[in-house]
Amino acid sequence: MLRSLLSAFLVFALALLVVGFTLSKSTGRRADFRFSNGNEPKSLDPQLATGEPEHRILSALFEGLARLDARSLEPVPGVAESWEISADGKKYTFHLRPSARWSDGQPVTARDFCYAWRRLQEPTLGSEYAYIMHMVRYAEAYNTHAGQAAALRGTIPAAVTALLRAHAGAIPAAAVLEFSSKQNLDATLEGTPNSVLRNFLLRPAGDLPRSELSALPAQFELEGRRRAALYEEAKLHFGVDGGAYAADDHTLVVELVAPTPYFLELTSFYPLFPVPRWAIEKSGGQNWFLPNRIVSNGPFQLRQWRVGDHIRLERSDSYWGRKDVRLRDVDILPIENTTTSLNLYLTGELDWLPLQSIPQDLAPDLRSRADFSTGPAFIAYYYKINCTRKPFDDVRVRKALNLAIDREQITRDVMRLGQLPARYLVPPGIRGYTPPDTGIQFDVELARKLLTEAGFPDGRGFPKFGILYNTLESHKKVAEVLADQLRRHLHVDVAAYNQEWQSYQQSTRAMDYDLARAGWVGDYEDPNTFLDLWLTNGGNNRTGWGSVVYDRLLSAAADVEGFVAQPEFVLDHAHDGPALRRMTDAARAAAEPAQRLKSMSELRLALLAQAERILIHDEFPIVPIYVYVTQDMVKPEIRGFYNELLGSDGAKRPNLRGIHPLRDVWSQRDPYRESGSR
Amino acid sequence: VIEGLVLAFGVVLLAATAWCPPRTTRLLGALLFALVLGVVFRFALGMPVALVCGLLGAVVAFRVFPLLVLRRVLFLVPALVLLIYATTLLMYRAPGNPFANERATTPQVEAALRAHYGVPKSASAFFAIYMHRLLVEGTLGPSIKVQGRTVEELIGPAFPVSVALGSLALLLSVGLGLGLGIVAGLRRNTAVDHLSMFFSLLGVSLPNFVLGSAAMIIFSLWFGWLPVAGWGSLRHVVMPAIALSLPNAAIIARLARSGMIEVLQQDYVRTARAKGLPESWVVVRHALRGTLMPVVSFLGPAAAATMTGSFVVEVLFAVPGMGQWFVKGAINRDYSVVLGTAIVYFGLVILFNLIVDLAYAWLDPRLRSSGAARP
Repeated sequence: MLRSLLSAFLVFALALLVVGFTLSKSTGRRADFRFSNGNEPKSLDPQLATGEPEHRILSALFEGLARLDARSLEPVPGVAESWEISADGKKYTFHLRPSARWSDGQPVTARDFCYAWRRLQEPTLGSEYAYIMHMVRYAEAYNTHAGQAAALRGTIPAAVTALLRAHAGAIPAAAVLEFSSKQNLDATLEGTPNSVLRNFLLRPAGDLPRSELSALPAQFELEGRRRAALYEEAKLHFGVDGGAYAADDHTLVVELVAPTPYFLELTSFYPLFPVPRWAIEKSGGQNWFLPNRIVSNGPFQLRQWRVGDHIRLERSDSYWGRKDVRLRDVDILPIENTTTSLNLYLTGELDWLPLQSIPQDLAPDLRSRADFSTGPAFIAYYYKINCTRKPFDDVRVRKALNLAIDREQITRDVMRLGQLPARYLVPPGIRGYTPPDTGIQFDVELARKLLTEAGFPDGRGFPKFGILYNTLESHKKVAEVLADQLRRHLHVDVAAYNQEWQSYQQSTRAMDYDLARAGWVGDYEDPNTFLDLWLTNGGNNRTGWGSVVYDRLLSAAADVEGFVAQPEFVLDHAHDGPALRRMTDAARAAAEPAQRLKSMSELRLALLAQAERILIHDEFPIVPIYVYVTQDMVKPEIRGFYNELLGSDGAKRPNLRGIHPLRDVWSQRDPYRESGSR
Repeated sequence: VIEGLVLAFGVVLLAATAWCPPRTTRLLGALLFALVLGVVFRFALGMPVALVCGLLGAVVAFRVFPLLVLRRVLFLVPALVLLIYATTLLMYRAPGNPFANERATTPQVEAALRAHYGVPKSASAFFAIYMHRLLVEGTLGPSIKVQGRTVEELIGPAFPVSVALGSLALLLSVGLGLGLGIVAGLRRNTAVDHLSMFFSLLGVSLPNFVLGSAAMIIFSLWFGWLPVAGWGSLRHVVMPAIALSLPNAAIIARLARSGMIEVLQQDYVRTARAKGLPESWVVVRHALRGTLMPVVSFLGPAAAATMTGSFVVEVLFAVPGMGQWFVKGAINRDYSVVLGTAIVYFGLVILFNLIVDLAYAWLDPRLRSSGAARP
């Protein structure tokens, strides 16, 4: 009886094993290059994807107008073989190379870019990266104004009515704040010319008289109408004959709202990649990027994608620069366990471990290996302070927290990989950017003095508070050290606690925390990517902190010409007014276009530095901790990895973002010796 | 409040199916069986075939199926609906939502995404959309975090992998566990007993990621016999199957040991011995059946759990199985994935419990004659 039971079971198991294997039978030959990607990509739709694993794959599958040269990471011709930039820096004319082809043989035309860019801004698509292209004329209006108009003429007036009904006298400050943030007023009214609404946004916190509130709906209606009209205009023109349009099949004209020094670099970033309209429409826009459906224009094509197993790319025969692509195929493994990744690397199954695939507790020991490299990264690690809670609404308390932390101890004893202790928010290494004065240092005496001034001598009377971090071992270590330092240095009662990712998101969004861990990866090499987080009520701010001067400095940097025309408010309020005024005058006086562009760009960075100064010298809504390091392990026979970049100006710079374009990677491994089993 | 009431009503209804009289059970069970067949076949083979299959199925079920099976079917269908509803409510109670991201999304974008994926803000509305998808469109819905794929496209390739790995692991654990347990039970309180129970204790208390990591270091890094991780050849299966089997083997060993000790004291074993049968004959022919009883009842849920994969083992050995979707679905609040995995798991639990019940009747003649089924 037992025998029959067992044999039945055995047959059953064997049959299923066979099923399992046929489904995951390997592709045969070992790919020329195999690497761990840490995670399964969420999407391979350039306009919908976000994240590093997606970035690595998309940059191999598609190509933008420009691409990043592996040696310098500067934009070099991609689909566009040349381009002209107008003297005022606001108009780009791209000449597309006639040899650029989609993988189905169709030529890549300017219309493909128009389609992709309009798609990126499509309000119904819901792209998270839409904002990154808002400096293109019409883009923002097309992307956001319809929704804003609907809110201004619907939910927002309704909320005003409800607010008036709920309160008898003046509206209390807390209710006003809740109304503003719930209705997302700052984003909805951004850039409004309506003076009543501007004044409402800029008014200091406090009770709001009824009359002032009841006057608003009429203005909302006006603003709503204005935005609806702008949307209609943008809908008519954007991607057709304005903003970004095809002058002919191989000429793309792009009009910017304001000169943007990083725009060329941006065209090599995946949200701006062209996409094949016919392939997307054929599959209803849902799954066109899966193997056998996808049509792409980059150096590689997607051959296979087994979720949880691997993605295989093969060199594209239709790519214009196929002669430069030396890898025949690439395997990308979504391995989540970093120890497993390392073991696969050590047994020769993987050729490259990027940052997220190296076990952090082993990394300091791996550091001595020749194939391990680190360098500064364009990623900041910091804590947010909830500025709406007492006593953290007091700037002295926030400064005391910043001064009481020994960042050296954290980088030296906890992180141990040469991370830089952060006295700034913006990581170092941006060309032309001079960081401002910082008030951040390790000074326990001064910290205690500030705390005493704030009414908590020797920490007495300071309420117990928590340090929130999202569940991860390395965050835990930092949070515990931080709590310990604050306890010892300030004698305050503090405890670190963790929440899993979604709960953590919810808590920070709802401002339900005291101190919360955060990190930010720069999207493009410019201080703006770190500084626009802190706009008043900005979606990523989540500290409750806001400053009119700060907001104005950032909008001035976004439109330097507009600022030069009307610089008074910023110059009066910025710390370094006189120096800024000199630069402003110089920019205004510059007659020669190139000179003017250069001084504008210097002025722009100076404005951003002034903004950063507010964060790290005056107001301290955050506690910067350290700057990440990039980490790579690469087999010695793999070439084309540059951790030290050589710029076209001959200067050497670190590879801040850890980008290694697969197009330029090659393997020196003898292809005939390594044949056979995977 | 209304949602709570609906839930309570569902539970009462579900409990009521247990008291349903045999004739009604037969009829309703057959009808529901036909419905399930119809829904499944409609998307595989088309409407006319589905109708025929459903009707045929109903007749066969009504005439041939044991009452036990029909009672299970009658329980299964409402329980499934209730499970979906309760899971939906729980998911919506959990903080966060599938569209909450590190980067702030504007309300317009979130609204667009919600409309696109069919995830409205109310749990009941989502339940309605989900049931419509399941019954009318025949899909488990799109995954939100693995874009461009439906849940069945995610689970479809992963499920056979998990079943293959799981059945091998189960086979190993039954073999190993029964061997250790029976020997220990026969040689009670001897060194053999202590040794095998020590191993069993080790298997229960050492988590399988520790066992797996140790095996990986020894067999892959030191000796180089087996590949570290991945999926694609028989050599890839060895370590994950062992890591997956040891905890179950340990439990089976303990169950088999105590079962054997108990059975050896039964009258019928004494009778067998009194007849002068050789000891090995007594053990194999008479004692083994009784020993298997507790093991079999453990195997039902254990089989369902093992064959739906283990997150830990899959992540450690980079196996593209189904276990990861239980955890990822929950962590990402990918509602459709959560429901999809819950349905598969629930179906397997019901299926294996049914098999256990049938096996019981087969192993124990006393249950067969009375015709009673374990509830």
